[in-house]
Amino acid sequence: MAEMTPRKRALLCMTGNKQRADRISCCDTLTTATVDQMNAAKAPFPEANRDPELMYRLAAAAWEVIGLEGFKLPFDLCVEAEALGCSINWGRIDRHPSVESHVFGDLKDLKIPENIVERGRFPLKYDVEARLRKNYGDYLPIVNQVTGPFTVAGHVFGIEKFCIWTKKRPQEEVKEALMQIAEMNIADCKQALRSGADLVCIADPSATSDILSPVFFRDVMVPVYQNMARKIGAPVVIHICGNTSAYLPYIGDTGFDAFSIDAQVDVAFAKQVVGKKIAIVGGVPTITALLFGTPAKVREFAVEAVKKGVDMLMPSCGIPPRTSTENFKALVDVARCLVYV
Amino acid sequence: MSRTSEEIVNAFVKAIVDGDEEAAAAAAREAVEAGLDAYELVTKNGGEAMTVVNKKYETKEYFVPEVLCAANALNAGVEVLTPHMKASTTAEPATVVLGVVEGDIHDIGKNLVKIMLSSAGFRVIDLGKDVPVQKMIDAVKQNNADVVGMSALMSTTMPVMKKVIGALEEVKLRDKVKVIVGGGPVTPEWAESIGADARPHDASAAVGVTKELVEKLRKERAGKQ
Repeated sequence: MAEMTPRKRALLCMTGNKQRADRISCCDTLTTATVDQMNAAKAPFPEANRDPELMYRLAAAAWEVIGLEGFKLPFDLCVEAEALGCSINWGRIDRHPSVESHVFGDLKDLKIPENIVERGRFPLKYDVEARLRKNYGDYLPIVNQVTGPFTVAGHVFGIEKFCIWTKKRPQEEVKEALMQIAEMNIADCKQALRSGADLVCIADPSATSDILSPVFFRDVMVPVYQNMARKIGAPVVIHICGNTSAYLPYIGDTGFDAFSIDAQVDVAFAKQVVGKKIAIVGGVPTITALLFGTPAKVREFAVEAVKKGVDMLMPSCGIPPRTSTENFKALVDVARCLVYV
Repeated sequence: MSRTSEEIVNAFVKAIVDGDEEAAAAAAREAVEAGLDAYELVTKNGGEAMTVVNKKYETKEYFVPEVLCAANALNAGVEVLTPHMKASTTAEPATVVLGVVEGDIHDIGKNLVKIMLSSAGFRVIDLGKDVPVQKMIDAVKQNNADVVGMSALMSTTMPVMKKVIGALEEVKLRDKVKVIVGGGPVTPEWAESIGADARPHDASAAVGVTKELVEKLRKERAGKQ
């Protein structure tokens, strides 16, 4: 029998085929970087977001230091906005970069250059992905993260303004802007897949149901996501922050392979609603368990999530930078010794 | 034929609930011409309208975009009415310092709370987003704040709330001010564990919670004297 590599395991688990894997995967498709890893790899924020060597070392640390079964790039959600002209606050060792200014005053000002994936830090990301592939072969999966269309719209237009437009502008115009951003995401993924990435994580934190109605999600976001699912050409996991329970009836229609749920969504409930339409990944709360809990508490949550049927064991959101290695490793330990229930 | 006072007030309230800026401004202008009390229109009727909006938000008929539109409509009305307002004769309003914690730039929730609290008559000092811990402490001191409200929308920035509360303790201000926290990932359990006084479950709940805390605080102060 062929060896079950972490790469095969992750691809099986995130596409809803965990029964064919030897055990559950703990490939974290969200932000993996912690201060401990930065110190161990001598690759601190904010420099590791911009320097190729440091970015490589910090990406590799997910596996080398913690044992997470995959690499994920980049660490922040600003690559798209930066390439489109937004100014970025680069943060510091325990603070992720964030978008400081918006660039488009109106929906019709949105212009995405043809060569967008050659701009900003896109090429840097592909270079590091290629280097990881070269050095680790096919053993571990490489996750290309893209910032989802709604979140990028919030970055380039300003989130409040864009929210108001969802009510005041013709829905077709709003959808069209999101579609254009999605095309940039698709072009990015295609380049990343050529550079060595195996799978895609769309992080669209702003599309949370704390902000948007399930009806808007169904009528506007789902068609935009369907377009992405059709064109990307690799397994896709989508992460949306907050309590997304109200999206569960529609999330399976996106055509994505997996839905990464935040701590406010119950794994068992999610599994029950989506059935076999889409895999559910996540399960370990970042704040109560990983950041402020103990290894025992992390194990407790992780075991519970597996019992409830989670398809891939991951933190419920991007990891807080001050999370201890001890706690983070406890998640990996559970995946290593557990199959699925 | 011109409308009755009642019709104008109803049109003003409806315009806010519908999130219609132009209609709200038009009703406000009509109210000024008809000689209605501008102050009452803003605080009482504007407040009523936002209560309806709150309720719709709470029952998930409205979401953030609808609330933002309503707030814009209220603001459009307030802009027209402000020059016509006579000074308030009501009791000294309580002061609330609001801010999104350092490292976090997600301010929709905080802005909603600001709108709700302002329309309920609180004096709101808005520090904006990405507010350094020290700046928050300074604002509490300088404004003699009754309540400090902070929000974090990212699980990565939530821990800063704990720092702010620690800093308040250090400068011996913790007993003098009530602390409310909010934001998507902030659970009531977490709020309690860091020693916050309350975690309203959404922006609309913030008004009631803040009123209760201010009453409690004023009683505590009276008890000490």
